Amino acid sequence: MTDTQWPIFEVFHQQARGEPHVHVGSIHAPDAEMAIILAKEQYCRRQACVNIWVVPASAITATLYTDDDIFERATDKSYRESWGYKTPKHVAMPHGDSPAQVAESDSEVKHM
Amino acid sequence: MSLNYENLAALTPRLREAVVNLLYRMADDELLIGHRDSEWTGHGPILEADIAVSSMAQDEMGHAQAYYQMLHELGEADPDTLAFGRKPREYKCAALVCLPKGDWAFTIVRQYLYDAAEMIRLTAFAAGSLRPLAQLATKLRGEEKYHMMHGRGWVLRLGDSTPESHERMQAALTQLYPYAMGLFEPTEYDEHLAQAGICPREDELQREWESAVAPVLTEAGLKVPEHLEPVYGGRVGRHPAALKELLDSMQLVYKIDPGAKW
Repeated sequence: MTDTQWPIFEVFHQQARGEPHVHVGSIHAPDAEMAIILAKEQYCRRQACVNIWVVPASAITATLYTDDDIFERATDKSYRESWGYKTPKHVAMPHGDSPAQVAESDSEVKHM
Repeated sequence: MSLNYENLAALTPRLREAVVNLLYRMADDELLIGHRDSEWTGHGPILEADIAVSSMAQDEMGHAQAYYQMLHELGEADPDTLAFGRKPREYKCAALVCLPKGDWAFTIVRQYLYDAAEMIRLTAFAAGSLRPLAQLATKLRGEEKYHMMHGRGWVLRLGDSTPESHERMQAALTQLYPYAMGLFEPTEYDEHLAQAGICPREDELQREWESAVAPVLTEAGLKVPEHLEPVYGGRVGRHPAALKELLDSMQLVYKIDPGAKW
């Protein structure tokens, strides 16, 4: 059966400037601009929002759940976790860089 | 123009009458297009489009409520009574917003032509001399900006997507354009409102609207109809039969129990 659906875009939503963009769901749309237009009502009508990202789901490469043992720690490595320290939220992000810096300064982000 | 009306009480009786008429036109247009768009709730072509058009319907009804509230402050009845308690002849909406919802192309073209007109009016109000209206217009413009993005996005894509979509869009545009021109039906108050710096003359607004929509329609591969007679009458209470049907449905619950608390 032919798939008559539009492509899927993953939607990331930012509640306030400086906050990280958080994945909130996905949306069907013919292209990125329409994805933003439709995502605005789909995901921002019930909560505060200052910015949306949409990413074609096809642009995402993911690990396999069958490989999730790669994330397991054979020995105790809790000393690596930064949660025990009193740090600002953006520093405490496990992946280091503040997403806010990425959002506002990364010239590779296209705007509609 | 250095006129400035800080509040509604600053209006002279004659100007007050003109503003009341203007607000009825705005409010009734918003209420009825909001109702028409809400008829898509649960029936949109896809879930995402259904949600967007339903939200926009709520936006328009919110705008109507704000204008009715201002009318109430000018001594008219309360917003619920104004929205649900009047006879068809008492509404001052343009025929454009009365027409049944049609297909999706019809809805998109109507919404786009309507929103472009509303945006031009809100921009004029925001720069106008009546402070409460300027403040309200500034507040409403954000939602309206989104409506324009939504309408433009759909118009550009459906205009030349497939032969069928083009045909439906062109048919809707040809049918609706004279009705949209009717949004700018001249009234006896135009000159007075313009002189007071509250709202530019209708013909001036219409010229601005035409130059705003034409490039987008052309880019969408659509032919802007020419030499059409505008459909007038709405501003003086002469409406297509579709309005009575719409009001019968919209006012049904209100008429059963006008004072009901929700």
